[in-house]
Amino acid sequence: MSVIEDLITELARLPGIGRKTAQRLTYHLLRQPTDRAVHLAEGLQSVAERVAPCPEWGTPTEHERCGYCSDPKRDDGLLCVVEEPSGVEVVERSTEFRGRYHVLGGHLSPLDGVGPDALRLEPLVRRVQGGGVREVILATNPSMEGEATATYIQQLLTGERVKVTRLARGLPMGGDLEYIDGVTLSHALLAREEVGR
Amino acid sequence: MWLEGLVARGFRNLAPTELTLPPEGIALLGANAQGKTNLLEALYYSVLFRSFRGATDSELARFDGPGFRVESTVMRTGKTGTIATEFRVAPKRKRIEVDGAESSRLMEAMGHWVAVAFLPSDVVLASGPGAERRRYLDRLLCLADSRYLTALTRYRSVLSQRNAALRHERRDVVQAFDEALASAGAAIVSSRVRWADTATSMFAEEFAALGEQETVGLSYRGRAELAAVDAWPGAIEEAWPADSKRGVTTVGPHRDDLILEIGGRALREYGSTGQQRSAVIALKLLELSTLSEAYGTEPALVLDDVFAELDTERQNRLVTRLDEGARRQVFVTAPRRDELPEGLTLPVWNVKEGRVTCP
Repeated sequence: MSVIEDLITELARLPGIGRKTAQRLTYHLLRQPTDRAVHLAEGLQSVAERVAPCPEWGTPTEHERCGYCSDPKRDDGLLCVVEEPSGVEVVERSTEFRGRYHVLGGHLSPLDGVGPDALRLEPLVRRVQGGGVREVILATNPSMEGEATATYIQQLLTGERVKVTRLARGLPMGGDLEYIDGVTLSHALLAREEVGR
Repeated sequence: MWLEGLVARGFRNLAPTELTLPPEGIALLGANAQGKTNLLEALYYSVLFRSFRGATDSELARFDGPGFRVESTVMRTGKTGTIATEFRVAPKRKRIEVDGAESSRLMEAMGHWVAVAFLPSDVVLASGPGAERRRYLDRLLCLADSRYLTALTRYRSVLSQRNAALRHERRDVVQAFDEALASAGAAIVSSRVRWADTATSMFAEEFAALGEQETVGLSYRGRAELAAVDAWPGAIEEAWPADSKRGVTTVGPHRDDLILEIGGRALREYGSTGQQRSAVIALKLLELSTLSEAYGTEPALVLDDVFAELDTERQNRLVTRLDEGARRQVFVTAPRRDELPEGLTLPVWNVKEGRVTCP
């Protein structure tokens, strides 16, 4: 196999990229000045060698502890639990949250052999038992498996001296009521809020 | 609602087909294995976006061909709409378009073309196991209410996750799925029970209209109280010993059934062949009226070679029943003209070696 073929095969392993796109990317890189491709290669190498999950929360970092862990301005009493590191970025984008994160590394999926032992649950419990956490915010995906994972954690933390909350499920901003599915709407109804009298 | 045009390419044994269909429907004649059922299968494809006889999309593609395309032009309240499905065998790819725009969710594509299909194999609805009647209920309710489809999809995935957890013997993990099982399950049970409540008397009326003397009953067999989410925790708790022993979820709508009775006894065991056929027709007419109410328009009826199975009296009564009330499009097939009931006045078309011809 040629080096070009090798690269195409590697690129095609990435999520969302089929063989055709991989070919297009490869030939695009070949047409660019050499240093572009070298920069990309260096970037990949640095990420692979230097980034590791933060030992405390599992968020990817190139330092000993991630920025979210080491930032002294963040509130230690609030802990947001997400499935994947990408969840951290999403919650950050809201700018509402100034606490710490815990990345589970996935969700419960017995069908795929992912049980509680495959998730970073033990460090979570240890952190809560260590004291100082007032509230655990469960921000798993609103998928069926994400919900089940949240329920599991809720059960796991029963009896601990900590408030456990879940992200509200309901209507998307800018949406149209007519197009909301029944499950979402029934959640929104259950979590309805009283407005000013 | 009626089907104005059908385009089928690479579909089963059909030659490239482009048909303009009359609003009253057609009677399609042809010897066996010429493509009668295949054409009906193509006509019905845009209802559920799969074969009405359980074939996979790959099996629908012409043997050794690259894939198929089915395009249905539907006339509804004076406006035409087009629903098209393009299926490639390798690499496997299916694309559904509604009025030219890609529909990424099946739910959005369903309901633009609605029909009820009646095949000779449907007799299992009366004589077969509960799974057949659950399939009938699920198809009917998915088409009538998109929220049912959401709940059913969710319920099926919770069920397989929960059963996997049961096999791994982790009660804590099993419990994590109980809440989702309850909310999706309750939605399914409440839809089914609500439907069965109104369907009971309609079923008896349809059955009597086919000339049957004996009284029939239709009821939902299952735990109707599970229509409420609150009833689930207790039921799940109660089922735990059985669940853990057998490694599967033993409570919920996936185990329910629709009970059909004749003269107070099980139709499946005590009904004659003729009575069972009448019961199946009554169920199909019930499907027709449920969908017509849900959509506010008459769905089409697709009958594959069903008259041959009925005696003359049942044939005539069915034709009378189809003629009364609202106008609807009807597609029927038969091997020969003399096998169609006399009262049936539809334009007669022919099919031979996968080619459809109209005189």
